[in-house]
Amino acid sequence: MRIKWKVIASLIGILVLGLALPVKVFAHGASIEYEVSTVIELVATYDSGEPMAGAQFVVYAPDDPATPWLTGVCDDEGRFSFTPDSSRPGIWDIQVRQAGHGDIVHIPVGGDAVAVGGAGGYSKLQIGLMSAAVVWGSVGTALYFLRKRKA
Amino acid sequence: MHIPDGILPISVNAGGYAATAAVTWYSIRKIKQKENPREGIPKASLLTAAFFVVSWIHIPVPPTSVHLVLNGLLGALLGYYAFPAILIGLFFQAVMFGHGGLTTLGINAVIMGLPAILAYYIFRLRKLGSKESPKQDGAFDFLAGAVAVGVSVAIFVGILVTNLPADFISAAAERAAIYTMAIAHLPLLGIEGAITSLLVVFLRRVRPGILDGV
Repeated sequence: MRIKWKVIASLIGILVLGLALPVKVFAHGASIEYEVSTVIELVATYDSGEPMAGAQFVVYAPDDPATPWLTGVCDDEGRFSFTPDSSRPGIWDIQVRQAGHGDIVHIPVGGDAVAVGGAGGYSKLQIGLMSAAVVWGSVGTALYFLRKRKA
Repeated sequence: MHIPDGILPISVNAGGYAATAAVTWYSIRKIKQKENPREGIPKASLLTAAFFVVSWIHIPVPPTSVHLVLNGLLGALLGYYAFPAILIGLFFQAVMFGHGGLTTLGINAVIMGLPAILAYYIFRLRKLGSKESPKQDGAFDFLAGAVAVGVSVAIFVGILVTNLPADFISAAAERAAIYTMAIAHLPLLGIEGAITSLLVVFLRRVRPGILDGV
């Protein structure tokens, strides 16, 4: 009789152990937490197409446009990237400058603002047409002042 | 050599506008004193177009590239008409292509326009000699073109170096970049001098009348 109880107790023990073990095994599973953050990547080039290698950039947060939020230097291809603070939505201003040349871009971040990408400058055709318009205006002015006055 | 918006403090931009207003007023006064002020306008208008377009002509000077300015040529051919011509050219460059900026229009006119007037006076020195000498004329043509762009670079560097912002991570790096850019412009002195000289010598032979009054 005592032996029988010992067997039952052992079986219950094994069962409990068996139930407990898998819990320990599942504790090795992976967990993934995620947060979406926006990385802004910029490429700075001169009009001539050359990259602004080594140019310095200054990033200003929307709520404090007077104090630089981040400063740094572009790489050899004129690239740099940064992750804006998502708790400060608004227009982020980024200035890139080198030897007195440079530009400022205004990038909307957070809220309803959606900015996928942007590029400054014009295509060669646009430049050609705009130049032609101004040149024609100048030629027109010259012709106007060259005309002979009626006596 | 066009300073864009946001580079210089407001006080410098305001000073640039004040200087430009004064020089424009003086230039127009000088133009009005001419017998027929309208006579020079077609020439000024065409050279404004040339000045406007020529900033797209890049000359590679490793590690960078420079663009033509032609302010010496404008000064030599136009005299006091050159300053308003350059001002109008700069305005269109800023508005259409973002070369320079509207807040820096005054300071850019000082950088490129004042040396043009200097070029005019250098160009006039050719008349000093008692006898006509094509070689002497050619030398002053060259000097007018070269000195104008050289003085422009000097003013440009002077304004930038004295107005470096405090929030820079490295003012030394920016200063070095400014000097590198200035050195890259040295070949431009020769190029602009040669262009001015060639064009003026050509005009002197083909249409000497165009140089009358300058």
